[in-house]
Amino acid sequence: MRVGVDIGGTFTDLMLWDENGRAWIGKVLTTADPSAGVEEVLRQTLAKLQRQANSIRHLVHGTTLVTNAIIERKGASTALITSAGFRDSIEIGREHRYELYDLDLEHPKPLVHRHLRFSVPERTWADGTQDVELDEEHIARLVRELSDAGIEAVAVCFLHSYANPDSEARARAVIEDTVPGLQVSLSSEVVPEIGEFERASTTIANVYVRPLVESYLNGLRSRLEQIGFEGRLFIMLSSGGVATFDTCVRYPIRLLESGPAAGALAAASVGQDLGRNSLLSFDMGGTTAKLCVVDDGEPLVTHDFEVDRRYRFKKGSGLPVRVPVIEMIEIGAGGGSIARIDSLGLLKVGPESAGADPGPVCYARGGRAPTVTDADLVLGYLDPDYFLGGEMKLDVAAAEAALAESIGDGLGMSVPEAAWGVHQVVNEAMANAARVHVVERGRNPRGLPVVAFGGAGPVHGYGVAELLGCPELVLPYGAGVASAQGLLVAPLAFDFVRSYYGRLDQMDWDEVNRIFEAMEGKGTALLADSGAGPEQINHTRTADIRYVGQGHTIRVPIPDGILSDLRRQAIYEEFDRVYRHLYGREGPPVGLEALTWRVVSRGPRPGRAATPHPGEGSAGNAEAARKGERPAFFGSGGGYVLTPVYDRYRLVPGSSLTGPAIIEERESTAVIGKGGRVRVDERLNIVVTLGGGT
Amino acid sequence: MTARLDPVLIEVLWSRVLSVVNEQQVALQRTAFSTIVRETQDLACGVFDTHGRMMAQSLTGTPGHINAMATGLRHFLHEYPPGSLQPGDVLITNDPWMTAGQINDITVVTPVFKNGREVAYFANTCHAADIGGRILSAEAREVYEEGLRIPIMKLYDQGKINQDLISIVRANVRTPDETVGDLYAQTSCNDVGARALLGFMDEFDLDTVDPLSDEIITRSEEAMREAIREIPNGVHRHETWSDGFEEPILIRATVTIEDQDVFIDFAGSSPESARGINVVFNYTHAYASFAMKAAVSPDIPHNDGAFRPVHVSAPPGSILNCLEPAAVASRHLIGHFLPGVVFGALAEALPDRLMAPGADPIWISIWRGRPPGSDDRFTFSLFQCGGAGARASKDGLNTTGFPSGVAGVPAESLETLTSLVQHRRELRTDSGGIGRFRGGLGQLTEMSCRTDQDWTVSAMVDRISHPPEGLLGAGPGAAGEFKIDGTKEGEPKRLLVLKPATKVQLNLPGGGGYGDPFTRDPEAVLEDVIEGYVSIEAARRDYGVVVEYLGKDDQLVRLPHHYRLDREATHRLRTLK
Repeated sequence: MRVGVDIGGTFTDLMLWDENGRAWIGKVLTTADPSAGVEEVLRQTLAKLQRQANSIRHLVHGTTLVTNAIIERKGASTALITSAGFRDSIEIGREHRYELYDLDLEHPKPLVHRHLRFSVPERTWADGTQDVELDEEHIARLVRELSDAGIEAVAVCFLHSYANPDSEARARAVIEDTVPGLQVSLSSEVVPEIGEFERASTTIANVYVRPLVESYLNGLRSRLEQIGFEGRLFIMLSSGGVATFDTCVRYPIRLLESGPAAGALAAASVGQDLGRNSLLSFDMGGTTAKLCVVDDGEPLVTHDFEVDRRYRFKKGSGLPVRVPVIEMIEIGAGGGSIARIDSLGLLKVGPESAGADPGPVCYARGGRAPTVTDADLVLGYLDPDYFLGGEMKLDVAAAEAALAESIGDGLGMSVPEAAWGVHQVVNEAMANAARVHVVERGRNPRGLPVVAFGGAGPVHGYGVAELLGCPELVLPYGAGVASAQGLLVAPLAFDFVRSYYGRLDQMDWDEVNRIFEAMEGKGTALLADSGAGPEQINHTRTADIRYVGQGHTIRVPIPDGILSDLRRQAIYEEFDRVYRHLYGREGPPVGLEALTWRVVSRGPRPGRAATPHPGEGSAGNAEAARKGERPAFFGSGGGYVLTPVYDRYRLVPGSSLTGPAIIEERESTAVIGKGGRVRVDERLNIVVTLGGGT
Repeated sequence: MTARLDPVLIEVLWSRVLSVVNEQQVALQRTAFSTIVRETQDLACGVFDTHGRMMAQSLTGTPGHINAMATGLRHFLHEYPPGSLQPGDVLITNDPWMTAGQINDITVVTPVFKNGREVAYFANTCHAADIGGRILSAEAREVYEEGLRIPIMKLYDQGKINQDLISIVRANVRTPDETVGDLYAQTSCNDVGARALLGFMDEFDLDTVDPLSDEIITRSEEAMREAIREIPNGVHRHETWSDGFEEPILIRATVTIEDQDVFIDFAGSSPESARGINVVFNYTHAYASFAMKAAVSPDIPHNDGAFRPVHVSAPPGSILNCLEPAAVASRHLIGHFLPGVVFGALAEALPDRLMAPGADPIWISIWRGRPPGSDDRFTFSLFQCGGAGARASKDGLNTTGFPSGVAGVPAESLETLTSLVQHRRELRTDSGGIGRFRGGLGQLTEMSCRTDQDWTVSAMVDRISHPPEGLLGAGPGAAGEFKIDGTKEGEPKRLLVLKPATKVQLNLPGGGGYGDPFTRDPEAVLEDVIEGYVSIEAARRDYGVVVEYLGKDDQLVRLPHHYRLDREATHRLRTLK
């Protein structure tokens, strides 16, 4: 048996695949000590299946622990040690105003207070030459004082340590000699990449969360052992790979945030089952929508990430963290997003959200501002008596009144028109964000199927896909536990990076070969420790390359084996290919320079997804799954149309139907527009071919 | 336009236009060559209707570029009125008086055609790596010395590049590949925007975007007027001094609020300078209207309508409305003062909203040299920011540009690309202007070059003799310092030749404070002392707050509990005043 357990803000979700290729789902409320919830959901599911914990071979765990620790500033008391003259790099930052017109702008607070940032005599130049030797006595004295002051962790970030890590290594030796037990992270190990601000920020974050991660994972491991678990424990990284306990404790910052990454992986795997290697993953929840491009079966990965943004959706407002992260855009559009009339008299939706509390007006918990969910309810998409499977009654009249008061009266529109406006505007906002994101990556949204999940994803997926001109919409089974499912399809993988600057026509290939050899050697060792056989391990090389003098690098595949001037042409050709793909044109006749070299080492890919436990019904066609009909609003031309409502749990493989239609499940409702052709595949995914329009 | 423009449809179309402009900017940023454009976002993108009115701008970029580009498009249309252009034509200029006020800033405009008619224009401005003439400095006496001036002309004629122009550019600049490479990037990003716009017009079955433009511009104008109506009528004045080139420059603003209009007049400011710090009127207008918008209505979209209620004037021949052939290369040195002056004037009318003057002009220094034993010369532009001014309810931001949004350069990047060495980059203690809210801190930086030959710097720096003033009883930020080998005053705004062993110090100004420093929360002062933003001596002298250090003199680690706030002594000191 293989089990994935993902901890989210509200729920802890479980997905279990048994030996017979069956999938089982579990769900409990997230607990204050999250590992208690993990234990609880495991116990419950095992009891239901009448199985023992010792039959679980693999358990993959995803957690938001690291992000939360940073946002809530709950990490270790941490000091920073830098080269002379550079202790303020994390506060000076990029000196950039990320929002031009906001006079109240704020920067995120660094994780290390200024009084705990120290420069020590040391200087290495860009080419790795040591100009000033590290003053070991000084650093010994400093850490003795730090230890006396109760400091638990130290980040060391010297200039150009990616080019020559010697000073940092010596610093660690001195620190460990002087104060054994003090937690130390070296920037040359955590992220040997050019850019002192981002490298220091990442190194600090790594050591800041380490004690917490270590004690949490230790606690989790002993809980699991107590219930009889004897299999291997893996933790999901934000890059979409999984790693072992030991690796996570060394590089805890790589855990950052696994839930959203796992959701995108689940979408990618659903796509692969359907033979769709490129797609758009669309996860819409209560406060935000997250979009991710999947290419060649893999979600795109970025190394440029921020945590704890002061302005949630504004790049530049957070603490930079240079670790591989599945690349997503997140926009302030969810079921709880508030609709209002702005100073221009136009209808706006979000990013302000009513959240879960008080929530939308129709929850009748004191919310007064109309939200996307209120509009969806008024449009007939949601059933007031079957929300969360009927656990919560929705107040339609209150939603109508709020829409009239806040939107309709001001704009001279009827309530349905106002609700339709809210629905359209939020769909448009998501589609626009998706379009810019997809285009930025050199892809065309028109060809991409959309895989929609999350509570509101299936309600809006059809509309967003239509706006983007996408051909197909997929609504996976078990949309409410997509992240737990993603955990089960993640391969064992780890990323390595090293900055080494050179023009390709003057490159010291021997050095590049040494760099790759070292990274791949580390990857092999690390994966072998995790149980992968040497023949199962593969390495993917890339480099960040740009035209000489150009600011922006692009990531270019690099051939395996020994590199030399003879193979330079192959790299030029790859660069040209990627450049054309991204920008649709040839670049100018300018030389190339490489800044950073990367390797992803991957172990074996887990087996294919299991088939869900068969539904509660057993009827052979869609008609048998029809549970009723209700008026639902489709487009300005149509208005309310009496629309058939289906029970997703009674739709079995091979069923088909044509929109308009509504398909209900416990955690969400799928809205299928007019002309959308629906079929249910053998894994109970709903696959919709988009129709001719609204 | 088939459908009626209801508020929902307008919002839907409008958000699509914004997304189109952002696609355009993304394309420019990713393909531009000069590091300035990519790393410091010294650029602007926008889309214009057939009347040449700016409908929308991209998310980032500098106000000086955006607003100047907006007014500049009129000049392009004057030269090439609708009907005179063909598909595939692309226009270009870097004429300072027509566009962004500096010869390095090149604007490229592409008309978009549908059914054989112009339906929109995409434009962008970005800072060329080099445009010939003097290395960017303020030394020129006439614009002719500042580089190659390109009048409004075709860069492409029906899809065919103007090879003569390209050859002339290549022959005149130090970095032909980068400068010409950027022209390609500027052209193709307009194409990206045009393709997206045409796709969107097809989808919504639109023949023209002018009615949408009318709606957005009219609504923005109305919202702006509404915001202005909330300010009481009145006439407000403020003035500030820039170090200038050979003599200080006075910038004086009179801001008149009259119902729903604002008149910003710079009469009384200094006359034109003999050197390259003069500001063309476009640029004056750009920063004055930016200030007004940031002050009263940051949320209103930035387009033609948002400018209309703001009327800017400056006497011809003055520093803020210079006439040909004045030298203008370093116009930002003066232009960046304008928002601070406008805020200063409005401080009493809008006491809870504004920001004190900060370091204002971004410091740009241009470095040239050769690595030891090499003839491979580098040219590098270093961008640095001092402290921003304190706000009405918050301290100023440390080392953050305002009004410009450009970013600094990592030491590791500049040392990898050149043989320069940055020895220090630290916050500057006690540089934030004292006040109830403290000004942002400047920074201490030191540069040298690993070379065996002479090297040069041209430092466009300011606020060395005239630090940023505080508002409403607060103190000024610390003045900037430009020094050679720690002692000798460097001459700003000139090309200086340096010996191999020389070290150059660039210490950036702090921002001005806001409100009476003796009313600052003593706890906040204590925290400033603990963090080293404010010294113990300054806490006592400037804030009347007595903090005692209880630790040992040679102790490296000084924690919060090593300091004690003496409340009684503080109270005594503060009452005494």
